[in-house]
Amino acid sequence: MRRRPGIGGLQTAAAARDQYRLLGENVAKLRTDLMKEQLATFRSQLEDFARKHKNDIRKNPTFRSQFHEMCAKVGVDPLASNKGFWAELLGIGDFYYELGVQIVEICLATRPHNGGLINLLELCNLLRRQRKSDREAVSEDDCLRAISKLKVLGSGFEVISVGKKKLVRSVPTELNKDHNQILELAQAQGFVTVDEVERRLSWTSGRAIDALDILLEEGLAMIDDGHRDGKRRYWFPCVSSISSSIGADS
Amino acid sequence: MQKLGDFKLPAFFNYPPYFTLQPVRDTREKQVQLWRELILDYCRTQKVFVIALEEEFPLFSNPVIERSLNNEARETFLSALVSEGRAEWLDKGHRKCLILWHRIQDWADLILSFVKDNGLEDNVMTVEEIRSGIESRGTELHGMDRTILMRALKLLEHKGKLAIFKGTSADDEGVKFSV
Repeated sequence: MRRRPGIGGLQTAAAARDQYRLLGENVAKLRTDLMKEQLATFRSQLEDFARKHKNDIRKNPTFRSQFHEMCAKVGVDPLASNKGFWAELLGIGDFYYELGVQIVEICLATRPHNGGLINLLELCNLLRRQRKSDREAVSEDDCLRAISKLKVLGSGFEVISVGKKKLVRSVPTELNKDHNQILELAQAQGFVTVDEVERRLSWTSGRAIDALDILLEEGLAMIDDGHRDGKRRYWFPCVSSISSSIGADS
Repeated sequence: MQKLGDFKLPAFFNYPPYFTLQPVRDTREKQVQLWRELILDYCRTQKVFVIALEEEFPLFSNPVIERSLNNEARETFLSALVSEGRAEWLDKGHRKCLILWHRIQDWADLILSFVKDNGLEDNVMTVEEIRSGIESRGTELHGMDRTILMRALKLLEHKGKLAIFKGTSADDEGVKFSV
């Protein structure tokens, strides 16, 4: 546009700016409307879907986990509120709260034995044993979801990954990297020795003994001086449940 | 599940560290509690009355995992039973232990109901008869430890429920009930 002098030029420029703004607002409004419409359609479709597959979602753990995944991708959390539409429609809120309570119970009951760290698999098994009525209906995924809901309580429930295994922590112990490495090492046989820790992790003996002492203090490890080689073994109930350790040593 | 005869062993019996006394207090308390329950349970079902620390006892070692309790651990677990009145040391050196899966008072009550059930209220019996006679067959009194029986009888005598007297043979004593 050629710059024209005088008051008329300025007025023309202002009018053009106004026109552009109006046009822009119109386009934006159109887009938002379209977006809103799409969202509404999507929501109703998702509701239809949930209604249609209500039973599958309730009964089938695999289906349930896929449904959760789908919801998460579009930013919908069916567990966000127990009073919300999803809970009323599916009743899954209650399901997870119930699981949460049972998980807390199991963690408390096994704490004297495992020091507040339990293998996710073992937790699931105990959970299934406790819920005899629908034994198959609880998956690991459900456990993880229920535990993530427990975080709201600030009670320090957390899932930590050690090697390939997932452990559920119900005590506020902070495990540092050294402790995690020892737990990972212990997964092979259920126990470690000081020698083994030094050798496999290339640590000094002081570092190994310090870390093991802390794990003992926290009740996560137990000593075993009974093997015929005379070397003290440190066992970790959280990586090898008592019942599954039978035969591991013989 | 591993078994000793018809006795079902708990899962911890197969976990090696439970055979070593734990140094950390909380862990040890849990360990002692488990062992205390196991020993009491085993003695009750298998009718074991006396445990000798240095002798073979099925619970003190587990050949499957090649572990056994050392003397310190054995004494710790039995002492825990003693401290809650479920056992008594028979000697000062703590080598032999009397296991009371029924307390003396409970044994005394068992004797009283045995007397009533069999209409022996004013009868005379020898101590041996109570332990091994026909009347007590099938009751918990049958085959019970003589030391415990005498303690229970003395308790009842103290309460005036019976009188103990020397029998005709020198080695047996008689009991006159007066319930």
